[in-house]
Amino acid sequence: MSDLMLKLRNLKVVFPAQEGIIKAVEGIDLDIGKGECVALVGESGCGKSVTSLAIMKLLNSPPALVKVDEINLDGEELKNHSDAKMQELRGKTLSMIFQDAMTALNPVMTIGRQIDEIYIRHNNYSKREARKLTIKALDLVGVPEAKSRANSFPHQLSGGMRQRVLIAMAFACMPKLIIADEPTTALDVTIQAQVLNVLSDMQKKHHVSLLLITHDLSVVANMADTIYVMYSGKIVETASKRELFTSPKHPYTEGLLGSVPRLSDSHHHFVQIPDAVPHPMFKPGGCYFHPRCSYCTEECKLKMPPLVKTADGSEYRCFHPLNLKGGHKDAK
Amino acid sequence: MPNEAKSIIMELEHLSVDFPVKGALPFQKKRRVQAVTDVSLKIESGETFGIVGESGCGKSTIANAMVGMIRPTEGKVIFKGQDLFALERKLFKEARRDMQMIFQDPFSSLNPRFNVYQIISEPMLIRGKSTPEEMKERVIELLRLVGLSDKDLYRHPSDFSGGQRQRIGIARAISLNPDFLICDEPVSALDVSVHAQILNLLMELQEKLQMTYVFISHNLAVVKNLCDHMIVMYLGKVMESGSTKAIYKNPLHPYTNALLTAVLDVDIDNQKERVILEGDIPSPIDPPKGCRFYQRCPMAMMGCKSIAAPLIEVEPGHFVSCHKVNGFPEPYANEENTRPLDPENE
Repeated sequence: MSDLMLKLRNLKVVFPAQEGIIKAVEGIDLDIGKGECVALVGESGCGKSVTSLAIMKLLNSPPALVKVDEINLDGEELKNHSDAKMQELRGKTLSMIFQDAMTALNPVMTIGRQIDEIYIRHNNYSKREARKLTIKALDLVGVPEAKSRANSFPHQLSGGMRQRVLIAMAFACMPKLIIADEPTTALDVTIQAQVLNVLSDMQKKHHVSLLLITHDLSVVANMADTIYVMYSGKIVETASKRELFTSPKHPYTEGLLGSVPRLSDSHHHFVQIPDAVPHPMFKPGGCYFHPRCSYCTEECKLKMPPLVKTADGSEYRCFHPLNLKGGHKDAK
Repeated sequence: MPNEAKSIIMELEHLSVDFPVKGALPFQKKRRVQAVTDVSLKIESGETFGIVGESGCGKSTIANAMVGMIRPTEGKVIFKGQDLFALERKLFKEARRDMQMIFQDPFSSLNPRFNVYQIISEPMLIRGKSTPEEMKERVIELLRLVGLSDKDLYRHPSDFSGGQRQRIGIARAISLNPDFLICDEPVSALDVSVHAQILNLLMELQEKLQMTYVFISHNLAVVKNLCDHMIVMYLGKVMESGSTKAIYKNPLHPYTNALLTAVLDVDIDNQKERVILEGDIPSPIDPPKGCRFYQRCPMAMMGCKSIAAPLIEVEPGHFVSCHKVNGFPEPYANEENTRPLDPENE
């Protein structure tokens, strides 16, 4: 299929530690279509950030050991690329938006200079040309008075503005793929709505593929086309947005959906998934989710369920899927 | 009013808190940040009181003033009938043991070099009234109460996940049996899936230990199910206050509306029209003279710029500070003032 922007096959990331081996990512396949927004959802510690860093080839090895069958970016195989070659690509054909804008930006450089750098490095523009483009880029993401704001330092901007600057940097060279790692987690709700709007507009306008990484399904509901749910280093469910939100198949997805507080709720209790993600060094046998799962049976404790594909293209990793057509109805 | 019968545990009377800002030049006029301006509220014993607003609106300053960590510039903090800042030092300390706080970030609010036992027993150690055996027993009891086990006693914060760390923070806060607990965004640093666990734990504890909560949050979906009364703050002032039911049923202030629509929903068939506020919260140094919200308000009128909006009761117990809702006070109610604000002429 040539309409795929990113084709990731069988990604494995392992961190050897003194006490044992931490399996952060255990064989992940990921497809991102051109102009598509794909979300990777999971709790902290499930390996979603490691996946994104592995795609960018930003994981240092050692300590990380990365094994992958294929990282194909628009027909270009990145697997064997050297560091120097990756540096050419990063920022130009694939770029990243980080979670915490304050730590992602250089505190002793004006934001203008930080964005200029991208144009100078990748397109050989002169300083003056670069600054012109920088101001244009800042304008595009809705930074008011872009010309004077370009001369301010990161600490002089508010959280929402800093996140906009990061978005401007990511889109600077109009890359083919952008990875946004929890772009709004550190922000207030009203600012979160603004930033998501900017990100979504930019993505649609420039037809860029976006990999959105988050733990909050409500963020995804507005943006993503396809959603991958990840748990403890494995994909547990893949589906289109509508499919996933209306009929989740994996109990974990159902739990994640239920745990989002809603305005329409009126009961005096919050739906919760018990316990926490297992420590990556001490994962339980069988299905990794079984200790937290209310549908768990003996079979789940012994065997890891395979990823099953349904007719409509969605996938799930569970012996007792919910909401299957013709199967048993959702417990709710 | 029927709520006369209930006792008021915490009362703020016209509380204002200013912070001086250093001028850039030695003889420059000293400016002040008005973190909180003229906030009055009453919290009933046993209820959960919500304070809602964006960062920088003064929520945390109010919380800090309530527990006596910040001295208010004006106004009073009255805890259990006593003016907190008029108390003698000894009595002040006594009063403060009944109020505790849960902090936002469980990664920075626990000492990384202490083990769990040291963290949770520290308040008891400072009070110095229990023997080591009693303390250990109590710490184990507290750990069980918050859903951890005595196996965790000598582990360090770095061994725990965010949710578990927040549980440790909660255990520490309730170690001295406080009856007034301030939760300053207790879940916003955690994963969404863990939110529910911590919130349910807090509600459970409230029932068991009969505590009064002040719950600070910017997520209105959480506040709705948790709080009995709430205030919505913007830039140091109360925009809307009342019972949670009344506010959710009939949100009157444009800012409350904006906050409500900013809550993201997972119901994809029912995506509502969202009011997205332009711009950021302005600097609390030299705040706008009129309504503090006028720069971002989608319904702002010319008069909002210069005429302060008083907090007026629109239905019993439901107060709103907005000219659009209340109309301008008498001398200003003219056509000029009610003209929509033109952003160009600002």
